[in-house]
Parts: sequence; C-alpha cells; structure tokens
Amino acid sequence: MKEPIFPTETSLMLVCVTEAAPRSYSLADTASLAGIHPEMLRYYCRLGLFGESHAGLEAEWIFDDDALYKLRQFENYRRTHGLKRKTLRFIFSLFRDIEILQAELRFLRGS
Amino acid sequence: MPVEFKDYYVTLGVARGASDDEIKKAFRKLARKYHPDVAKDKKLGEEKFKEINEAHEVLSDPIKRKQYDELGANWKEGAAYQRPSGQQPHRNGTSRHGPADEFHFGGTGFSDFFEQMFSGRGRSGYSPQGNGADSEPFGERGGDIEGDILVTLDEVIKGAVRDISLQSSDPLTGQTKNYQFKVRIPAGVREGQRIRVPGKGGEGSGQAVPGDLYLRVRLAAHPDFRVRGADLYYDLDLAPWEGVLGTTVVVPTLKGQLNLKIPPGTNNAQQLRIRGHGLPKGNNAGNGDIYVVVDVQLPKATNDEERGLWEKLAHASAFKPRSDL
Repeated sequence: MKEPIFPTETSLMLVCVTEAAPRSYSLADTASLAGIHPEMLRYYCRLGLFGESHAGLEAEWIFDDDALYKLRQFENYRRTHGLKRKTLRFIFSLFRDIEILQAELRFLRGS
Repeated sequence: MPVEFKDYYVTLGVARGASDDEIKKAFRKLARKYHPDVAKDKKLGEEKFKEINEAHEVLSDPIKRKQYDELGANWKEGAAYQRPSGQQPHRNGTSRHGPADEFHFGGTGFSDFFEQMFSGRGRSGYSPQGNGADSEPFGERGGDIEGDILVTLDEVIKGAVRDISLQSSDPLTGQTKNYQFKVRIPAGVREGQRIRVPGKGGEGSGQAVPGDLYLRVRLAAHPDFRVRGADLYYDLDLAPWEGVLGTTVVVPTLKGQLNLKIPPGTNNAQQLRIRGHGLPKGNNAGNGDIYVVVDVQLPKATNDEERGLWEKLAHASAFKPRSDL
C-alpha cells in the first residue's frame, strides 16, 4: 500500500492536497502501517484484542482507522512502557467503556 | 502561543449563573437562527453556528464549565489566554530525541482558545518503533498526532471536504512550519470516529516516514436532534389531552418536515420511530431512524374554568395510576 510522503524539507508555507485514507484496510496493510508482523496481528485478533474490527474469517479481516489507531497505541504502550498484553487488554477495555460512557453523556446532555 | 479569550456566556447570551436548562434553551434558539441550512448569510451563519456550538460544548459539560469558570475568574479584560507554564500542549507528537513539537490546528471548527484549553486533553501522539514487518532502517517514524474536528449533521449526510491548516513549532529552535491541506470527511461518519490523514503527523528522524494525523469526529450539536449512532432523537412536547386523545403533529427531519400521527393513549417517554430518516450508517448500509420521544407537558397555571374542568375530569375518570400499590 503506497503511503503519501509528507515533505520534510522546511518552507514557510506548504500547500498540498490530501484526502482521508481509505476507510478499511486488509490485515497485511494494517500490520504494515502499525509496524508489526502480520502474524502478530493475527495473534492479537485470535486473542480478541481487535476482534470487533474483523468480519469473521481470518481471510476477511478488515480494519478501519479506529482499529489502526488503537493498534498503534497498543504497540506503543507495549514497547515503550513495557506493559504486558494482559494488562493492555484490561486497559483497552476500560478505554472502550469510557468512550461509551462519554458518548452517552453527550447524548443525554443533548449534544 | 497566546490566544484570544472567548466569553462563552456572551456568545450564548446567558448570565454566568445560568442553569443547564437556560443554557440549552439559549443554544437551541441561537442554533435555529444561525444553522447553516436556514441562515440568510451562509458564511456568517456557519461561523456563528460554530461559535454557538463551541460555547454549548463547554457550558453544557459541568467539568468543562467549572474549568472555564475558574479561568474566567482570573481573566482580565483584553488579556490573552496563555497556557500555564509546565502544562503540556494538548496535541503533541512525541519524540524520543527531545521535547515534543507543538501542533496547532485551523479549520477544524473549534477556536484556538478551545483547542488549547479543552481539546484532546491527555491524548498525546505516539510513535511505534518499527521492529516488525515495516521497520525503519534509518531513523524513527514520526509521531502520530490527534485533533478534533467539528462535523455538522448535514456534513454527515453529504460528506464534505474541509480545509485544514496545521502549524508545528519546535520548542528547541522556535522554528515554525505551516501546512495546509484538504481532508475529505466521508458521508456516514459517526461521533468519536477517527479519520486518518496519512503523513500529516510529526516528522520522522533520518529517512523515516512521518507519522499520521488522526482527526476525531465531534458532531455539532443540533437544535432539534440528539444523536446516538446513526439514529436521531427528537423530543416532542405534547399537551396531556393530545397524548390521551391522539393528534397529528409536524416533526422536523433533516430533509424537511413531515406529519406524524400520534395515536390515542400515547404515554409520556414513549418513542415513535420514523424509519430511515436518520443518519447514513456508511458502507451503503442504509440510514438510521428518527425516534420521536414524547414529553407530556403539564399546564403550569390554570384559571378557574380550567381548574373546574380538571376537577370534573378527576371525578369522572376511572384512571388510578397507583392501583397496584
């Protein structure tokens, strides 16, 4: 999957046009974008860590921007903070609960 | 970076001690006036609508309101808001080579003041080390950054292309860079969804690729509807006799108004569904629904004639709400 390269040379004003990335990615593309091996991502899926993103069979695993964001976050915590997968699984379930509760609060406040 | 203070109470035209209900009513009144779909001057309406939404976002949230009020007490007329020293910017890319760059967004629908004070708190960027399939042999991939983007319900239906500006500043050198780009908001986005913009994050070190920008969707509050997923909720005020006898009411939808028949015996809090008039679900999965939530309003004061009629009804009616006690 070809990624657009952001200009690294400095200038006062760079004007470029981009579009949001495709909304879904294959397992191989997702693993590549997250900097992990596809087998590692399959393993995570089998553990149910990113299970909500796939459509059943391994061959049909599809990930969206949210899943990629979470996967990168997950890898960052694991590698830079040395957190174990079991701990991260618990933390991510708390993140998900918080997001659900925040959304419900916004709904009840009329937003 | 100092930014201009925003007086959200003035924006909504309410007193500082206004109740939640007063804030909600003021928001709805102004939002109906300046909603981009109805405002005579579209551009002015759009700007005002964003300001009103931002003020509502802060004042309708007790935590944000408290934080804002505490700042307001220390703010002096004409002064600019400056982040307290030691407080990290809310949107930053991380780097293992030194202090993080600061990022400031434009075109997201939120003011610089809101961005600095409320947005993205605690959500910092991150930079995964590439030791897997996509490792970076000559440097480290740039950090991802995250920001909020305000999206109206109309944009959810039709999709949109937004002009985003991004300013990054290096705290070590003081060097700033400005970037402008367009981002497509796909139809059917939902609250909290992240839209990834590849390569617009922090710069990578050496020859490594830059990180990505993630824009988190924040749906603009609507004067008539509350949003849950792809479904819209509309609170319908009814007189008690309308609930008992039934009636026909006009209900707004995002595509215009329609007549809704309220069946006799409709109770308070009952929900009536209008199929397929909600927001698109995305991926050609159709639309959500509108739920009309009945809110029976009791008359506050009655004259002698009305009181007499209520008393007559009380004697004549066989209705006993506490019969099971």
